[in-house]
Amino acid sequence: MKRLQIKSVLVAIIFAIGLSPAVSGQSLTGKQIVDKAYNRATGDDQTSNLTMTLINKSGSQRVRKIKQFQKDFGKVDKRIMFFLTPADVKNTSFMSWSYDDDSKNDDQWIYLPALKKTKRISSDSKSDYFMGSDFTYDDLGDRNLDDDTHKLLREENINGEACYVVESVSKDEDYMYSKTITWIRKDNFVGVKKEFYDEDEELLKILTIKKVEKISGFWIITHSEMKNVQKNHQTSMILSNVQINSGVSASKFTERIMMRGL
Amino acid sequence: MEKLLNKLLNYSWITMIAILVITALFFIKMKENTRMETDLDKYMPQNNPAFVYSDKAEEWFGINDGIIVAIENKNGIFNTATLDTLKQLTKRLQKMEEIDKDDVTSLYTADNIVGSEYGMDVKRFFKRVPKLKEKLQELKKNVENNEMIFGRLVSTDETVTVIVAEIKDDVFTQEFYKKILSVAKASNTDNIKIYVAGRPIVEGTMALLGPADMKKMVPIVLLVIFLVLFVMLRSLKGTLITLGVVFFSTIWAFGLMAAVNIPIYAVSTMIPVMLIAIGVADGIHLYTHLHLYINKHPNATKKEATIDLLKNLWKPVVMTSVTTAVGFISLLTSQVYPIKYFGLFTAFGVMTAMVFSLVFLPAGIMIFGLPKPKKNKEKGNKDVAGHSYSKLANNFTTAVIKYKYVSIIGTAAIIVLSIIGMQKVWINSSFLEKFEKDSEIVQTDKFINEHFGGTSSLNLILDADGKKDVFKEPSVLKLVDKMQKDVDNQLQVVGNSFSLADYIDRMNKVLNADKEEFNKIPDSKNMIAQYLLLYEMSGDPENLNKVVTYDYDKLNVTFQLKSDNSKAINSALAIIDSYNEDFKKQGITMNYAGSGYKSLVFTDLILEGQIMSLIISFITIIILLSMMFKSMKIGLIGSVPILVTAFISFGIMGFLGIPLSSTTALLSSIAIGIGIDYAVHFIEQYKNNAAETDDKLKAAQITMAHSGRAISFNAIVVIAGFMVLVFSVFPPNRELGALVSLNMFTSFVGTLSIMLLLLYMSNIYFKKKEK
Repeated sequence: MKRLQIKSVLVAIIFAIGLSPAVSGQSLTGKQIVDKAYNRATGDDQTSNLTMTLINKSGSQRVRKIKQFQKDFGKVDKRIMFFLTPADVKNTSFMSWSYDDDSKNDDQWIYLPALKKTKRISSDSKSDYFMGSDFTYDDLGDRNLDDDTHKLLREENINGEACYVVESVSKDEDYMYSKTITWIRKDNFVGVKKEFYDEDEELLKILTIKKVEKISGFWIITHSEMKNVQKNHQTSMILSNVQINSGVSASKFTERIMMRGL
Repeated sequence: MEKLLNKLLNYSWITMIAILVITALFFIKMKENTRMETDLDKYMPQNNPAFVYSDKAEEWFGINDGIIVAIENKNGIFNTATLDTLKQLTKRLQKMEEIDKDDVTSLYTADNIVGSEYGMDVKRFFKRVPKLKEKLQELKKNVENNEMIFGRLVSTDETVTVIVAEIKDDVFTQEFYKKILSVAKASNTDNIKIYVAGRPIVEGTMALLGPADMKKMVPIVLLVIFLVLFVMLRSLKGTLITLGVVFFSTIWAFGLMAAVNIPIYAVSTMIPVMLIAIGVADGIHLYTHLHLYINKHPNATKKEATIDLLKNLWKPVVMTSVTTAVGFISLLTSQVYPIKYFGLFTAFGVMTAMVFSLVFLPAGIMIFGLPKPKKNKEKGNKDVAGHSYSKLANNFTTAVIKYKYVSIIGTAAIIVLSIIGMQKVWINSSFLEKFEKDSEIVQTDKFINEHFGGTSSLNLILDADGKKDVFKEPSVLKLVDKMQKDVDNQLQVVGNSFSLADYIDRMNKVLNADKEEFNKIPDSKNMIAQYLLLYEMSGDPENLNKVVTYDYDKLNVTFQLKSDNSKAINSALAIIDSYNEDFKKQGITMNYAGSGYKSLVFTDLILEGQIMSLIISFITIIILLSMMFKSMKIGLIGSVPILVTAFISFGIMGFLGIPLSSTTALLSSIAIGIGIDYAVHFIEQYKNNAAETDDKLKAAQITMAHSGRAISFNAIVVIAGFMVLVFSVFPPNRELGALVSLNMFTSFVGTLSIMLLLLYMSNIYFKKKEK
């Protein structure tokens, strides 16, 4: 059931597909477009600094700076994060292992330095919001291509980029989003914008990609914003010092490292 | 003035038609432009600091009143059928357009924070309704182990569970209530019973029930007044014209309100009450005089009779109306706009009633003719010892004067008793207590209060004034925790309380292997911050927004109360306030929020204004009376009936335990309006009679037969009318009926006994002659 394939703190669909030439001249189906977006090459590991800013409706902000490492082990994706600020949660660390196997739940640990203990945490829902942000774990991970019915609505330019506009309707009626509409760049299959509709088919959230950088040959989105239009709450995520395929050690993803800190 | 009025008699038809046309215009305006204001927030002075803060706090924390839907199964709720009902009802409430999905809380939506040896889980109690016995048992155990749920969403005897749906202030309508009720009723089965309660229901029902009941009762009141008036005046014309004066003045008052775009508030329904009680007085006095005149001069023409009427009575009519209007205008000192409007438009109504009494009523006589003289009665009274034709008046006057100590001691005793009673008067802003004890709404409330923390809530807002992260400090949270436990333990009426401290307590316990000794605030600020981060990562961070602001600089502590009455709220406030100093030392100020608190403050404001205006108008009236009669002594004597009426009114309220509320407080205005009418008419008559005789007793007896008679007619008519309200189904309207009747009665007795006596004993108007 539970599957958290977090390949990046940022939305997975935005990973670059490399330099593969766009299949021009030949029209793609909605499903093919989404498939290309989902399956862009991601690199095997990533190290970055993440600044996550939560802004509530009255404009108050919570800013968190995090150092994160992640690595794809094939059947499992592992990630470890260390809080740098605010001071009262410094050295708090979070680790997650998400499995490709749909039937296997994610494993998650948190280390609270004040408690000096590592704790397993579990949430039973993929619709859980990630660290109080407007991103759900699901938004951050891959969604299985066959979970939705995809339809190419139209092609249009957005911010000067030629895009496909694809509607993805959930096959599972109980899923938190009844549908999403994604704007995907024709040239590199990186997402530009995504609208999320709630169970009642009302617009719930808008994801906007603010900045895409090419790092070590991969398209990496380094600045994105998710706005919940119903709650008027938003989250901005900015990545810096991004390193791809720098050879993150497999032994980095253990409880011992969580406790030891950076 | 008199000349002008007499001149108008020549243009009776024009006068009559002009008045009717203007009335019709006001009536049309009233029809098309009147709107009821039922949003209670609109009644409150928007710039009062307490309300401003409360409104802001409601915005910060999303504080709204909740509709409570309770599901009872005497055999216990942990079975598939009951849980399924709970889930279905929760979902149906979430789908209603009046309710935000996230504002519905029940066991189905709630998070369960569970601890174990190795970690912490935050998950829903159930999504699919459990069917297997083991699953149901597991759910039962989870609920019992979670203090944040057990006793809050599920009763400790496990027979009741509640769904709370918070709604915005202006959402409630009769249709919405019916919709909720029908949804609830549809889920009733043999074993499962559904109840609906909560402040929005109580407030909404009351806002609808009160005026609806009035609409039903007022025609009956008017009918009774009509009948009694007819019996008293023995003239259909007189009765119709007198009631016309009241009716037209009411239309003018409401018409003007509509014309200047002021909505009708709940207190505005008191305007006709005042105008009926006060307005009929002039008519009765005028007609009583007219009858006496005709009896004395059977051959007088209608013009002669009317001219004599105006000559003798225009002065007291103007005097009573002006003083009464001044009394109501003093309500402008109130901070509460509906009360200001009430004072202003009642004063306007009183003044129009005066104009009608002096213009419309004489015009009516000119057009429709005089009432027939009554012949049979006074003949039998010819041999009566005394000076007036009425035996009763003569005997009563003699008795009052002879047994003067009865009146004096009686009055003194009553005043003393009243003062004792007044100590017991208490202010009540409760909405629930306005309903019948055995009404469904009260019974449901009682039922829920027996099983849960309480249906009413009080929000304490702790404010560190913009200093961030104060509410992550262990010392602060420990103090909050201590205060909550203190209030919970000391007061029966406080069922439970809830704040950020409860979350921290729970997580501290859960992360320490579920050991009870960790059910407290930890000592380290970092620990608290890390728990909160953990909660954000695994629970629903929206939940925290209801208890603390984003910057951790303001905290919302909710106390559940089993009663919304002012005594209950004040007792909780007293204990909470004792922590004021401790919080102040931490740089934290205490404020309150929520509708219960607001209506408490609001009622206080109304009362404060009412008492203030009572004092102002009392003093003004003494001055006005003194000026009108050119005697300070008369000013003081004339104020006696008002004083007695007001004292007795408050005294009886104290003894009967009728609390002061926004409507009962306004009734003291009646004491002024009526007391002054009686006093002025009586004194004016007495003064005129004294001018014609040397005999004090004679003057008194004649006045009694004339003014006294009119006063008693007036009292009987209004008392009879308002006693009808005693049969109302709505308790506040019953209290209103009883208190208006009481005020009429005491004004009447006070004027004819103690005031008469004081007038007699003061020797005023006889001094010169005695020399």
